[in-house]
Amino acid sequence: MKRYTHLIGFAVLVAAVVVAPFISSNYRSYQLGFVAIYLIALCGLDILTGFTGQISLGHGAFMGIGAYTTTILVVDHGWRDLWTIPVAGLVAGLIGVAFGLPATRFAGPYLALATFAIPLSLIGILKRYPHFTGGNVGKNLPQLHSEFGWHTNPSIWFYVVTWAVALVMFPLAYLIVRGRFGRALRAVRDSEIAATANGVSTASVKTAAFGISAFFCGVAGALYAIGITYVNPDTFPIDLSILLIVGIVVGGAGSLWGMVFGALFVEFIRISWGPGILDLFSKVHHIDTHAPGSGLVVYGVVLLLVLYVAPAGFAGLVHRLLTGRSAVAAWAKPRPPTPTDPATGAEGP
Amino acid sequence: MKKTFLLIAMALAASTVIVMTAGATSKATPGVTAKSILLEGTYPLSGPASGYAPIPVGMGAYFSYVNAHGGVNGRKINWHYEDDGYNPANTVQITHKFVEQDHAFALVGGLGTEPQLAVRQYLNDNKVPQLFVATGATTFDRDYASNPWTIGWQPDYEAEGSIYGKYVVKNLASAKLGVLYQNDDYGNDYLRGLKAGLGESHQSMIVSAQPYDLSATTPPAVQVAKLKASGADTFVILATPTPTIQSYVIATKLGWHPAHVITNSVSATDAFLTIAEKSGSDNVEGTLSVGYTLDPANPIYNKLPGMKLYRTIMAKYAPKANANDGLNLYGVAKAWNVVKLLQSLGTSPTRAGLMAAARKMAFTPGKKNANPFLLPGVSTFTKGSFQYPISQVTIIQYQNHTFQPQGSLIAGRGALR
Repeated sequence: MKRYTHLIGFAVLVAAVVVAPFISSNYRSYQLGFVAIYLIALCGLDILTGFTGQISLGHGAFMGIGAYTTTILVVDHGWRDLWTIPVAGLVAGLIGVAFGLPATRFAGPYLALATFAIPLSLIGILKRYPHFTGGNVGKNLPQLHSEFGWHTNPSIWFYVVTWAVALVMFPLAYLIVRGRFGRALRAVRDSEIAATANGVSTASVKTAAFGISAFFCGVAGALYAIGITYVNPDTFPIDLSILLIVGIVVGGAGSLWGMVFGALFVEFIRISWGPGILDLFSKVHHIDTHAPGSGLVVYGVVLLLVLYVAPAGFAGLVHRLLTGRSAVAAWAKPRPPTPTDPATGAEGP
Repeated sequence: MKKTFLLIAMALAASTVIVMTAGATSKATPGVTAKSILLEGTYPLSGPASGYAPIPVGMGAYFSYVNAHGGVNGRKINWHYEDDGYNPANTVQITHKFVEQDHAFALVGGLGTEPQLAVRQYLNDNKVPQLFVATGATTFDRDYASNPWTIGWQPDYEAEGSIYGKYVVKNLASAKLGVLYQNDDYGNDYLRGLKAGLGESHQSMIVSAQPYDLSATTPPAVQVAKLKASGADTFVILATPTPTIQSYVIATKLGWHPAHVITNSVSATDAFLTIAEKSGSDNVEGTLSVGYTLDPANPIYNKLPGMKLYRTIMAKYAPKANANDGLNLYGVAKAWNVVKLLQSLGTSPTRAGLMAAARKMAFTPGKKNANPFLLPGVSTFTKGSFQYPISQVTIIQYQNHTFQPQGSLIAGRGALR
């Protein structure tokens, strides 16, 4: 029954993905391509943060590693961009495992702080080896163009590629978090002591989750580079890592379906809704909507509103609307707090 | 069973959001209607480079002024700009929006070397003017042949470097130069220009040139110490603002008092030098740099018609802005050139026509149509293979918290016009 409902949900998502480009402008399709990219990254981070309870403030850097892998292979080694996507994922995943080995010995805020070092050091490393990475000036990739003998608008091509990958990665994330391994992840999240007592090696589970999440972010980063057609250190600021965490929280940590909303939020709040809301304001009040940082104020206010209305993210809000019960109370059984407790513990999909 | 509903509801809601975000359709003439012309640009209104935020405000003030006086050939200029936070990933997405959804006539004054590099190929592929980018990276002017839809505006870093070289040969003939430069395209553009300006026979005047990495977490203390040890008596700083301020302070702490300090114009502003002074440097006074616009912080320009017009425009159309901030004036001066180009296009402007006009500008003192917001005598001139709109500057010297112009104009490229 459970698997059946997920199949229906997935079929509806696939149908929406197929229909969207026919009713959207090309620019919207281009934006929705970035939604697919964020969906992949958020699913990866959700496996680590939502399901395993390990907060990372550094996963934007794994997107950066994936993006640079793609860029260097395409620009300097003449690879076809699509073939670099799995390589980018593997490189990011391996670095994720390497980082996860020592880092997952930390718990809670200490881990978060350790992961914060990843984007910081990535920016330094990228600038340190300009002959390899292009330094501060970065590298331009080829412009978007349709391939395989299909002639269509570059934005549509980008949409098709990103969602084709996302619709593979999304079920993959589902397969990872269900079953034996998924239970191990949740056991580590809910109580490390209980997990260890039941024979779960918390260190290796956490390291594996770190590697898997980095792999997802690496794949997302490869598509990001293909879509932006340019990389430099400024393209992967610390904000990006924070943005991914915001996406998880807004979507609903511990729910993969919630990540669809998280991805929509992350893409549209900054580029479309923020400026749109500001324009509305400027028509009503004669305030300076272009003052430095005013876009961030809208972003912050919307974020606060979302968290007030839906403390367990969109996934929790939908659940509450349907059942009339608080999402946190219904989804997560009350349990004694442990050092690795995330703010919202939600059951798997 | 409830979970079934939950999941289906979420998937449906997701598809609804996607449908709701579906956008508009395209128009026949991009950005030009019977009554308006749409110009757009990306600027860092947040993030590390948000100090440049006054520039689009100044541009908007000038466009409002033009609109209030009948617009351009009967059309009002519709000026719209958005925050990219100096992140090229944002610049690319917003630029796609400007081109594919807003259908801007042209992108004007986009700020930052890297953000503008990120969208250059896209704009050229789509034949959308990337007019007067706000960066001095030489590539935006030099590589016009491969990027026919892109053009810079301000003096390029290479030309500025060459002006320091020429100035040193002429005025500081016995100087021994110690050069600190950023180890990337930015610093190398400047250094290449400096050597070209010195010329083959005078390159030995550089007794030491020390690169530093922008990624370095420590100030360039070792480099400054090496420059001091080299016996240099003239400190040439070709750096971005933060390392520049640090260099001033380090030199003082090392007890190095070079006879002259030359600082590139990007870092030599009143604000940055004041910080260096307050941080304990005693080498700030007398710093040499270059200028090409009027300086609203310096009262000696107040009698010029350009400065009077600038203050009138700012008071009426951007009353909340700090009119003494030279970045507003930079915006106004650039907008003046944009309007002149649009006026020359007549009643049916095209993108190709705009670029053709930008490639053949002659706003010169000789023709009595020079940009009034630039220093007297500075022309905006392009022709044939000469695609460096502003290439003349004057040497300025920091005295008592303002920059004073020193002597006449110098041509960084070509001849004075």
